[in-house]
Amino acid sequence: MLNFIVRRLIQIPLVMLALSVLIVALTMLLTPAQRAAGYIRSDQQAAQLERIIRDRGLDQPFPVQYGKWLQSTLQGDLGFSKSSGQPVLDTIIERLPNTIELTLVTAIPIILIGVWLGTLSALNKDRFIDQVLRVFAVLGYSLPTFVLGIVLLAVLYGYLGWLPGAGQLEVVNQFAVGDIRRYTGMLGLDALLNGRFDIALDVLRHMIMPALTLIIVSGATILKVMRNNMLEALTSDYVRTARAKGLPERTVNLKHARRNALLSIITLGGFLIIGLLSGSIITETIFAYPGIGQWVAQSALQLDVPSVLGFALLSAIIVVVVSTLTDILYGVVDPRVRFD
Amino acid sequence: MKKIALLSSLLFAAAVASTAQAAVAKDTLVVQWANDVPTLDPAATYDTASGSIVENLYETLVTYKGASIRELEPLLATKWAISNGGKTYTFDLRKNVKFHSGNTMTCADAEYTFERNLVTNAAESGNWFFAESLLGTGANAGDDKSITWARIDRAVECNRAGQLVFTLPKVDPAFLSKMAYAGQSVVDRQHAIKVGEWKGTEADWKNWIGKDLQGSNLNKQPSGTGAYRLVRRDANAILAQAFDGYWGKKPAIKNVIVQKVPELAARQQAFLRGDADLIETGGRANIEEQLKGKPGVVVVDNLPNTVASAFFMNQNIKDPSRLGSGKLDGRGIPANFFSDVNVRRAFANSFNYAQYIRDVQNGKGKQRTMLLPDSFPGYDAKVKTYKYDPKQAEAYFKRAWGGNVWKNGFTLNASYRAGNVASQTAMEILKKNVEALNPKFRVNIQPKEWSAMLNDSKAGKEPMIIIGWAPDYADPDNFMYTFYSSNGYYYPRANWKDAQVDKWLEQARNTTNAATRNRLYSLVGQRAYEQSPFILIPAGIGVIAHRDNLVGVSARAYNPMTSFSDTGTFWKDLSKK
Repeated sequence: MLNFIVRRLIQIPLVMLALSVLIVALTMLLTPAQRAAGYIRSDQQAAQLERIIRDRGLDQPFPVQYGKWLQSTLQGDLGFSKSSGQPVLDTIIERLPNTIELTLVTAIPIILIGVWLGTLSALNKDRFIDQVLRVFAVLGYSLPTFVLGIVLLAVLYGYLGWLPGAGQLEVVNQFAVGDIRRYTGMLGLDALLNGRFDIALDVLRHMIMPALTLIIVSGATILKVMRNNMLEALTSDYVRTARAKGLPERTVNLKHARRNALLSIITLGGFLIIGLLSGSIITETIFAYPGIGQWVAQSALQLDVPSVLGFALLSAIIVVVVSTLTDILYGVVDPRVRFD
Repeated sequence: MKKIALLSSLLFAAAVASTAQAAVAKDTLVVQWANDVPTLDPAATYDTASGSIVENLYETLVTYKGASIRELEPLLATKWAISNGGKTYTFDLRKNVKFHSGNTMTCADAEYTFERNLVTNAAESGNWFFAESLLGTGANAGDDKSITWARIDRAVECNRAGQLVFTLPKVDPAFLSKMAYAGQSVVDRQHAIKVGEWKGTEADWKNWIGKDLQGSNLNKQPSGTGAYRLVRRDANAILAQAFDGYWGKKPAIKNVIVQKVPELAARQQAFLRGDADLIETGGRANIEEQLKGKPGVVVVDNLPNTVASAFFMNQNIKDPSRLGSGKLDGRGIPANFFSDVNVRRAFANSFNYAQYIRDVQNGKGKQRTMLLPDSFPGYDAKVKTYKYDPKQAEAYFKRAWGGNVWKNGFTLNASYRAGNVASQTAMEILKKNVEALNPKFRVNIQPKEWSAMLNDSKAGKEPMIIIGWAPDYADPDNFMYTFYSSNGYYYPRANWKDAQVDKWLEQARNTTNAATRNRLYSLVGQRAYEQSPFILIPAGIGVIAHRDNLVGVSARAYNPMTSFSDTGTFWKDLSKK
């Protein structure tokens, strides 16, 4: 197992290097003028297009531009983000913890609820509860995130006034939050660590709608996959054997069938976490949640190349790390994988 | 599993139950915008979002008087004198003015500020037009080697009496209005040097030439003399508080929070619930359909609009691939197709101005006589305008190019900025009307990515485009020279040159006599009507919405050069009831 883990960890820098070449090469598909336009915010500034191209070296050959980018990146300088008004690295450091916090609040319920409801649905195949859950699943994964988010916002905030609107904090707490000492960068958690339960609760309340949106959309997918896996497992030979041995139905269903059905959920869960950590772009944008997703949406729209590059690099790190962890977890659950 | 689900439900219920909606306090102003604020460094400010914050944290020497864009009044200056035939401006500075850092403002701060703007003059900034006044060129020392430290140092100096003296190479009647631009706000010299900005001396000036200051240390830690000081800035919010040491009247609103909320629906919900006092509304259509008449919402209409837009008819198209056959054979156009005035007039008579106002501007638009906002000095309402007149258009087309245009037809390729619905609609109106005149006329319209359009049009490659101009400063030169001079910024896009117009525009640049300037601009407007180098797109009429407890917002107080799409006032002039 240790060899397996070491092998996967050694691959990380190599994959990262290959990805960085690919990412920079992809941005070079844009003309220098297109990339320079990212620095321009008004027609008047367009007069300076050539100066911007020259000053930024956007007309230099690929090896030169890649070399410069790699050199500064290795020194921890990912460039300046026009879309956030600060260095790319500072932007990531400021926003990533918010996205991690939302992921922590969201991912566990998505997986647990999805697995639970998927199991429930499969064990009650074709009964009323199964029909209801199947309708929910179809609605959940076919409903565009954008529509769901707007509807939740309009109903829970606009109409009923049960939940706060967009953002991360009420206005009154926006000024108070400057006194919070930051340990993790995750505002809710840091507020708890500072004993500011009012701010922690405010952060939590602001996370409910984005989290609910993500839980409904992604939870429905897990539910559907889990149901199918369970149905397949319940009809497999080893389950029949377990029943034949006289094991209690609960043990057969939960210990034997569900354990195997969970294998593909690990992979799916990995992808889900990658998606959440890389930024839930639409959800964060709708609810003005100050995470990575909202920033990358803005920077892509503005052709903010340093930000897009920085985000791509971050995404690559997340993909490689989470994929590795998923593979390791898979190896733990299914010993056959370790010996492949 | 069930326990976890139950626990989650309880947590959710507890969070919901704790919801006690905090209405926006009376001493707090909440503004929600869609976009980010790129910089808080005045030297780098050249966009509306940054300018709207900077103008409240910092102050300029002069400012617009109330809602007027024609009259200026002192702000950090107490008075000024113009001497040396209009080439020397001497400002007396206000005493006992404190920066947010606690430092006292002196002439050295002002000198440092303007020299810093001239030294850096980065490509992304608006300092090019300031440099034009003081150095005779919009370039910085990196691009124009004739710019030396000595020239910059001489251009801005403090005299022994502590007055700030600007020495211009030639008369510039727009100079004072340029000084009202937020980018020319006075910065705190000691503080700037302390946080790592340029030291203000010749020793290191070369290191700062052309330096992009958007992410400067001063952007992170601003210190101005404005009525508000920055408290905090994070990913989605800018927080400011009334500055206790402010020299002027204490603002009624203590806290200001500008939040970034990209989604219009979210901003709208917050606005309708009273959680935001002002929002980026998404324009007239949205205000009229979604906000007008709702409880707590006040709509202020009929506000001045300071943007001018036009169809450009390029008289020297430099891209053969955009010309089709390149001949007047019905399958293309020659590169100088628009050099015949009959073609230009025919197109101008083919555009349905009233339909555009009705369809695009919800009936709230106005035809202008020239490419200059009607609220600007120099605007002449008496100059004639083109009307949609198919018969007249047909007559001009029949006269054009010795009758060959009418006989053979043409295929014209026109572009508009992708995603700009107003431009697209304008193009479609023109296309429909032109093609209806003669079955041999064809106008192909296509959306173009902004960067491509900027680049291609500047290189003179686009036969026809729509583009606009928003003011940097409230002087007619900023529009008239830009659009109509053969040395103007937009010249390569239209390639229209009229020696007489050039002469009038240069004369207007070189005199401070308002009456003379007005007469010259009127002459340019009349000549432009006759020659029709552009099709003038009707200007929309401004409209804003605000919560009804916000006091100080009105058409009477609205200055289009201040706070742009918000209230047209500074924050310090607002209060809440």
